[in-house]
Amino acid sequence: MTPNTKIIACATVIEEMLPLIPNEMSYEVLDFGLHRTPEKLKTALQEAIDRTKSDIHTLLLGYGLCSQAVVGLRANRFRLIIPKVDDCIAIFLGSDQAYQQQSRQVPGTYYLTKGWIEAGDGPFEEFDELVNRYGEDKARWLMGQILKNYTRLALINTGQYELARYQEYARKTAQRFNLKYEEIPGSTALVKKFIQGPWDNDFVVIQPGQTVSYLDFKTNRSNP
Amino acid sequence: MSQSLVNAIIAMREEDALKITKELIEQGTDPFEVLATCGTAMETIGDRFEKGEAFIPELILAGEMLKQITDFLKPLLGDGKQAGDALGTFVLGTVEGDIHDIAKDIVAFVLEINGFNVVDLGVDVPPAKFVETVKETGAKIVGLSGFLTMAYEPMKLTVEALKDAGLDDVKVIIGGGQVDDQIREYTGADAFGTDAMTAVKYAKQWN
Repeated sequence: MTPNTKIIACATVIEEMLPLIPNEMSYEVLDFGLHRTPEKLKTALQEAIDRTKSDIHTLLLGYGLCSQAVVGLRANRFRLIIPKVDDCIAIFLGSDQAYQQQSRQVPGTYYLTKGWIEAGDGPFEEFDELVNRYGEDKARWLMGQILKNYTRLALINTGQYELARYQEYARKTAQRFNLKYEEIPGSTALVKKFIQGPWDNDFVVIQPGQTVSYLDFKTNRSNP
Repeated sequence: MSQSLVNAIIAMREEDALKITKELIEQGTDPFEVLATCGTAMETIGDRFEKGEAFIPELILAGEMLKQITDFLKPLLGDGKQAGDALGTFVLGTVEGDIHDIAKDIVAFVLEINGFNVVDLGVDVPPAKFVETVKETGAKIVGLSGFLTMAYEPMKLTVEALKDAGLDDVKVIIGGGQVDDQIREYTGADAFGTDAMTAVKYAKQWN
């Protein structure tokens, strides 16, 4: 059934999926920057769904609820499978429960992975741009405001790739912006199950012709 | 309405915005009209933010400009007009598990300049803290803010905690991130808002 399954994923999520995707399974990557404007992400996702070829039976969306960007999506000819999580951090950590646990421990955590770092689209990378636009002093003040309640910069180690380069980046960034650096264990459990099945209660399964709703993410959720 | 003030705020020209404000007051413009002009500029920035044409830094800069303008106007606003007696108490906070407060701070600011007494509980506020504060202050309106979709659950728990404490007459509005009527219904809140003026509109209606 693999040739009839296709993946559409965010640029950050595909990084974690690539080592596990079988050769015969096709995939499409959407721009990471879309997550900032959920309406644009929704449109881009629906367009990607609509142009999916008719021989596909199952479309895996490598996203979470993502600021409700997936709510309202529909496919008429095939089913959609989406991890039942708030956003990609839960995918990297391996489960919704692991995300909830990290969040409870340190709510002010900024998470990083290879995909996030390579996308270069977070507040840290924006700093130089802010300096250009508003000058050094105002840029520093702005970063202070943006990161006001953040205390920790956590690099998620999913074990999927060589981490050294990213460790150095994350450590330096934490130091530069006065955050506590920590490396936390990730997991490929959810990504593996997403690619291979079974699509159990950890996933939202939308049958052809049905529409994704917020409540799909709340029902039959595995208990933390 | 002064278009040059609107333009200065939208273009993030902080010094110009303050200078134009001072000139307007010197020319005899009603300070409340100046505030309304600032509100119009803020709404435009909010629209741009929603469309992805402006980002968090611009929201923060605009908020700071508005604060400076209001500080300058404050002594002129007194005399029991709009900013005299507080309209009522509004308890506001970012719900448990979420630490984002840029939207919340803008709402607090806009409510204050519209005459409300705002009790801002900060971020990562547990349901019990909201209940306790409502009891202490006798507030009839609560604003629950959250940026993450993870915040919907604590919003729901907070609404339930208020009901469980017998505070059924307290009205709750949610906002801060991607909220809509479905999320309002899920959380059990009375209203939702995607911009700061909506909070003011409901607060006045419920007051």
